[in-house]
Amino acid sequence: MLEARLAERSVLNDDFLRQLISVGEVDLLVGLPTFNNAKTLGTVVQAIRAGLLKHFPRERVVIINVDGGSRDGTPELVKAASINDLQRSTELYTLRTLHSISTVSGHGAATGPALHTIMAASELLRAQACAVISPESINIEPEWLDKLIRPIYRDRFDFVTPTYRRHKFDGLLLRNLLYPNVRALYAKRIREPYPSDFAFSGRFCNHSLEQNAFDHDESRSGTEISLVILAIVARFQVCQAFLGTKARAHRDSAELVPAMRQSVGPLFSSLDTNFQIWSANGGAEAIPTFGPESELTSEPVRVNRKQLHQMFTSGVAELEPVLKSILSPQTLIEIQNITKIAEDDFRYSHELWAKTVYEFAASYHKSVISRDHIIQAMAPLYRGKMYTFLVENRDASGEEVEANVEALCQTFERLKPSLLERWDGGK
Amino acid sequence: MALPQDTLWYKNAIIYQVHVRTFFDSNGDGIGDFRGLTQKLDYLQELGITALWLMPFFPSPLRDDGYDIADYRSVHPSYGTVEDFKKFLTSAHERGIRVIIEMVLNHTSDQHAWFQESRSSKDNPRRDWYVWSETDTRYRGARIIFLDTEMSNWAWDTISKSYYWHRFFSHQPDLNYDNPAVREEMWDIMKSWLEMGVDGFRLDAVPYLVEREGTSCENLPETHLIIKELRRKLDEQFPGRLLLAEANQWPADLRQYFGEGDEFHMAFHFPIMPRMFMGLKLEDRKPIIDILQQTPEIPEVCQWCLFLRNHDELTLEMVTDVERDYMYDVYALDKTMRLNMGIRRRLAPLLENDRRRIELMNGMLLSLPGTPIIYYGDEIGMGDNVFLGDRNGVRTPMQWDGGWNAGFSTADPESLYSPLILNPLYGYPAVNVQSQRRSEHSILAWMKRIIGVRKSTQVFGRGSIEFLHPANHRVLAYMRQLKSETVLVVNNLSSSAQAVELDLKRYEGNILIEMFGKNIFPRVGKLPYLLTLGPYQFFWFRLRKI
Amino acid sequence: MWQLIVGELTRATQELARDFARFLPRLLAMLVIAVLGWAIAYFLKIVVRGALRLAKFDKLSESAGANQLLTKAALPSSTELMARLVFWVVWMGFFLLGVEVLGVVGLQEYVSRFFLFLPRLLVGVFIVFFGLLAATFFYRAALLAAVNANLPSARILAVSLRTVIVILAVSMAFEELGLAERTIIVAFAIAFGALMLGLAIAFGFGGQDLARRFLERRFLHDKQEQKQDEFSPL
Repeated sequence: MLEARLAERSVLNDDFLRQLISVGEVDLLVGLPTFNNAKTLGTVVQAIRAGLLKHFPRERVVIINVDGGSRDGTPELVKAASINDLQRSTELYTLRTLHSISTVSGHGAATGPALHTIMAASELLRAQACAVISPESINIEPEWLDKLIRPIYRDRFDFVTPTYRRHKFDGLLLRNLLYPNVRALYAKRIREPYPSDFAFSGRFCNHSLEQNAFDHDESRSGTEISLVILAIVARFQVCQAFLGTKARAHRDSAELVPAMRQSVGPLFSSLDTNFQIWSANGGAEAIPTFGPESELTSEPVRVNRKQLHQMFTSGVAELEPVLKSILSPQTLIEIQNITKIAEDDFRYSHELWAKTVYEFAASYHKSVISRDHIIQAMAPLYRGKMYTFLVENRDASGEEVEANVEALCQTFERLKPSLLERWDGGK
Repeated sequence: MALPQDTLWYKNAIIYQVHVRTFFDSNGDGIGDFRGLTQKLDYLQELGITALWLMPFFPSPLRDDGYDIADYRSVHPSYGTVEDFKKFLTSAHERGIRVIIEMVLNHTSDQHAWFQESRSSKDNPRRDWYVWSETDTRYRGARIIFLDTEMSNWAWDTISKSYYWHRFFSHQPDLNYDNPAVREEMWDIMKSWLEMGVDGFRLDAVPYLVEREGTSCENLPETHLIIKELRRKLDEQFPGRLLLAEANQWPADLRQYFGEGDEFHMAFHFPIMPRMFMGLKLEDRKPIIDILQQTPEIPEVCQWCLFLRNHDELTLEMVTDVERDYMYDVYALDKTMRLNMGIRRRLAPLLENDRRRIELMNGMLLSLPGTPIIYYGDEIGMGDNVFLGDRNGVRTPMQWDGGWNAGFSTADPESLYSPLILNPLYGYPAVNVQSQRRSEHSILAWMKRIIGVRKSTQVFGRGSIEFLHPANHRVLAYMRQLKSETVLVVNNLSSSAQAVELDLKRYEGNILIEMFGKNIFPRVGKLPYLLTLGPYQFFWFRLRKI
Repeated sequence: MWQLIVGELTRATQELARDFARFLPRLLAMLVIAVLGWAIAYFLKIVVRGALRLAKFDKLSESAGANQLLTKAALPSSTELMARLVFWVVWMGFFLLGVEVLGVVGLQEYVSRFFLFLPRLLVGVFIVFFGLLAATFFYRAALLAAVNANLPSARILAVSLRTVIVILAVSMAFEELGLAERTIIVAFAIAFGALMLGLAIAFGFGGQDLARRFLERRFLHDKQEQKQDEFSPL
């Protein structure tokens, strides 16, 4: 075992290791995985620095940026945030040196390797609490650092997921698939199971590294949800904290299939390894929450619903041979039936959606066809559900949307036995 | 005289601060005196110090440990006579030790004859020698210094029915320096001591000499003119004698006291001292380097005085609020230890009697640019007593041996001017000169060694300083240079072992010679120079190119 | 004279018998080798089958889509198939050895020619097999990608891709077997070329707008006006 570990290539290259030696032991670590984020990174880093100086002036802290190979000067922006005796800045007075270092790990936009490096650094520097901030969080305020780190640093929690103020139509995959699924199967009401800003304790970090949570291929991306599931399954103390308004994503991250690949994929994979746990779980429990669980805004927006419906119907038709190997005959027929309904009356019910998701999960488990193809095949069906959601909540207020989501979750919880049935028997 | 004739002698001096009352009692009355101090000069010579700074020994009601002076031309009877003092001076000079005495210019005791006369009536010739006022509303811009005891800078005098100005205790009325008679008399007093052979004066509380409405009444231009005048006369009539300023100010404000080399020769660098302690607890060199980078250049003939502790509280006036809170929390959690915005503890208790930290702090004291001052008792690691009032906890009798009254006096222990330190950790049976003399590894022996190393070169006293900025912020490293001599000092401020890479490109080809053991260390090459240091360890390296 | 014939016949028979007697040990040897070989081959078949079962070879081949193909072709499961393959190869090897021992000249050559051809037959079969596998996989991949990119007639695209791959695989197999090599190559080149030309014409002339829109979307990201607010799924 030891020989295998030694022979692996380290995630910490020599230059980075030398920088870590200079930093030494820290109390808090803030990790920033980046890839060509120069446009937004400046604001984010300054807010992080301000937050650390304001809320943790006596603590030894370090900001660590793991860059995927940016060409736009991202690492320099991070290094500019450091405070040491070489600078003679007069506006800012601090008790201690603040290290802000950067390393390149050449993995492109995938966050998995970056998180691995951040956790490895956190373990070496014996940080008690580590926060990961997305470089796209331009709405970040200095208080976010306090909200994420305080539960770990003062209240002995192990994992903090965020909650945000978002538009009611933002993050639909989370609300219609990931949240209900995690809630029904892992029995925890975690609103953001795929967090971009989160924090964890040193204990959790050591555990994840021991579990080789990063050794699988899937962790090229989608590590975030794997970490959340690991925290639940290993019985760490999880809580969530309200941060503020979540920044709207920019173009690239609005793509559906990659988003599903990196979130739904690892979620379904986790069901394989954690069968003993989720199969025995009871009803979902709430987790300690600091601040509101969710805030939804409902300003009017333009959404192209028509295209969604069209992609759903044509998808179902074209993918019939593929869907045949994944879904049960009854479910497939039901879905084909609703494609025939006129657009205005179309509705993808909560029941049918829950059944769809669970059958996909079971087929994923059995690998009836290549797993990546299973995920891709799910996309058109999800579009149908998304269309229904947009129509039903077109004029809804925040509370009404919340009620809708709650109903969906309860459907998922109610239909959980059907997943267990199909898991090893059935098709 | 065995004194080296060098007008810049103070740049290479090692100064020892002592109060004659605390050192050695020759006549068994429980109070140290000059004859006793004279007997102990051999000890001081052996230690290696080259100058003594004596706390005030003039006649005084002793309500402020002698800083409230009742007669400037005499010696307090408890300490001896003027003759005793002269004999002491001669003996010190024979051993190559110079003597600096206190001169409190700013104020006198209210028992001084001058004040008695001044207050007696408004027409008295000495009325104007002090600062009187009908109201207490003048000079509102001036801050109160002794916050724990005084409510105002004005005190009501019942005898003359008016207010008098006092920046310090209310029994220490300020002299009026706008009065030429005052200035003349003070110079005359100084002259009489200089003629006796005194080598220099520490001028206490100089920033406060002159008051003006609408100002903070500190560091005023008029004050500087007075100093310049004093210095001019001194240089004319007594070249080679020293003026040392006590001014607890920010470095930028301190700069003025050097003038263009025509005011004070030396001044205490107050702001660096708390930052050395802070850097040690933070395990971060930033506070130390920050303050030294803010320290202005001073004229070539001038010198900073560095110290770790003194007879007062460890002052936290010259730090920010965040820093002060931090220092209180890490060094003086018990509020008994706090006084007047400072911490009234000795060096060893502050450093938790940790031998390594004591050595490190002394190492920095003796290697940073400036003349070091060692407070009596710190060379053996004496403890303190925070339950004695005011700052008396750090002014207990010197501990010479483990016997009767720690060998300080043959009097009854109850009659001593101050109780001895008794606890098992710092008490005189545990901490005393005699035991430490017998051990090669005592703090005393180590102090002698390091003072010896410091004296072996002029680079520490007169050389320039250049800071290195290794990435490891726990290591404070700097180069001292004087002509062709270069010394590298590396200090590990952390409680755990550290590795550090130093950029010594400019010194490529030099061999490092460690100055204590004289062993050679690897030559500087093209790559960064890697050093590993144990907890709180430091190195002094002489760079040699052969 | 009668005695001469009988005498000659007897001598001939005796020679035959003598030859036969000389031949017999070799025949015996060959039989022994054959039987031994069969036993060893059978043993190996069991071992391989067990090992593959342990390694869940069936599961692997199912996810690759091989099992479906096999069932369509009415072949046994992949584990079984592998095991039997091993059996036959090993036994045939021993059989060849036996034939060598036999020393029948003409027979040797034919048998060895046959055995030389066998590997190529095997390769050809493998090419077709894996070609079919790849075709299924790429068909599904293309179908899914096209559906999710909202391209029209996704099914047709996917099926064309599959056909092309199958044709390619079959042509390669024939080339490997050395059967009608040139004919196959030329026919394939013509068909493939025609297909490509046809697609180019269709795309270039008929699909001009589509092509333009596609390229614009790919390379002129920023210039396109946003028709709707962007929301992230996560």
